[in-house]
Amino acid sequence: MVTYQHAQQLDALGDPTRRAILESLLKGPLPVGELARGLPVSRPAVSQHLRILKHARLVVDRPEGNRRLYALNPAGVEALRAYFDRFWDQALAAYKRAAETRASETPHE
Amino acid sequence: MTSVADTSVKKSIIVNATVEHAFDVFTAGFDSWWPRSHHIGKSPMEKAIIEMRVGGRCYTTQADGTDCDWGQILEWDPPHRFVLAWQITHEWGYQPDLSKSSEVEIRFTADPGGGTRVDLEHRHFERMGPEGDTMRVGVGGPGGWSSLMELFKARAEQAK
Repeated sequence: MVTYQHAQQLDALGDPTRRAILESLLKGPLPVGELARGLPVSRPAVSQHLRILKHARLVVDRPEGNRRLYALNPAGVEALRAYFDRFWDQALAAYKRAAETRASETPHE
Repeated sequence: MTSVADTSVKKSIIVNATVEHAFDVFTAGFDSWWPRSHHIGKSPMEKAIIEMRVGGRCYTTQADGTDCDWGQILEWDPPHRFVLAWQITHEWGYQPDLSKSSEVEIRFTADPGGGTRVDLEHRHFERMGPEGDTMRVGVGGPGGWSSLMELFKARAEQAK
């Protein structure tokens, strides 16, 4: 199960400014200056958030003239898959411990 | 072309126990291992329960006295296999519509080295997207998880 509290596990998405950036980019690619204009943070801060989003593969950028345009990475579905990938590792490790603990208490073999 | 299989999560582990025991701990013993932090209730989770039959509910009981459904058993073949619907909306609430739910299949097979191989597949994340055919925000407030799900929906639709 996923809870709001686990937003931080998708680290890049655990920040409201970064989610606001993604929301802005849903409408189409934008340069950093226009992104910053719609947000209550400085342009350098937006650049920093964009770096984190790029690193998380949620955003891609490309040069256009003398500026860079940022856009949603169409491969961003990977983030959801990655979340559950980590989640099931954690859950199955707990399950294995439970199964083997109880197996040693009540042997079936 | 990207198929559904490309976005599913697949996990395999070996459990040092019989198939019957491994299945029993996973299902009847669900509460003994389910991560306590993982529920969609509004108060702390108390117990996690799977009703062991087709159509059975998957739910948690919460400290505030409420039950919180999050899934339903779709296929039930003890002790070898079962499938559950993972009924979570794009805003991480309960999803009553099975056609918009992802699903999880778990298989238990005897491992040649002794013990049990447990294979888990969580698939059909693309079903979790919100309704509508346009990639617009429109759902939830600023920073809402709905925007994230719009991304996934966009990806799923592009992949068709």
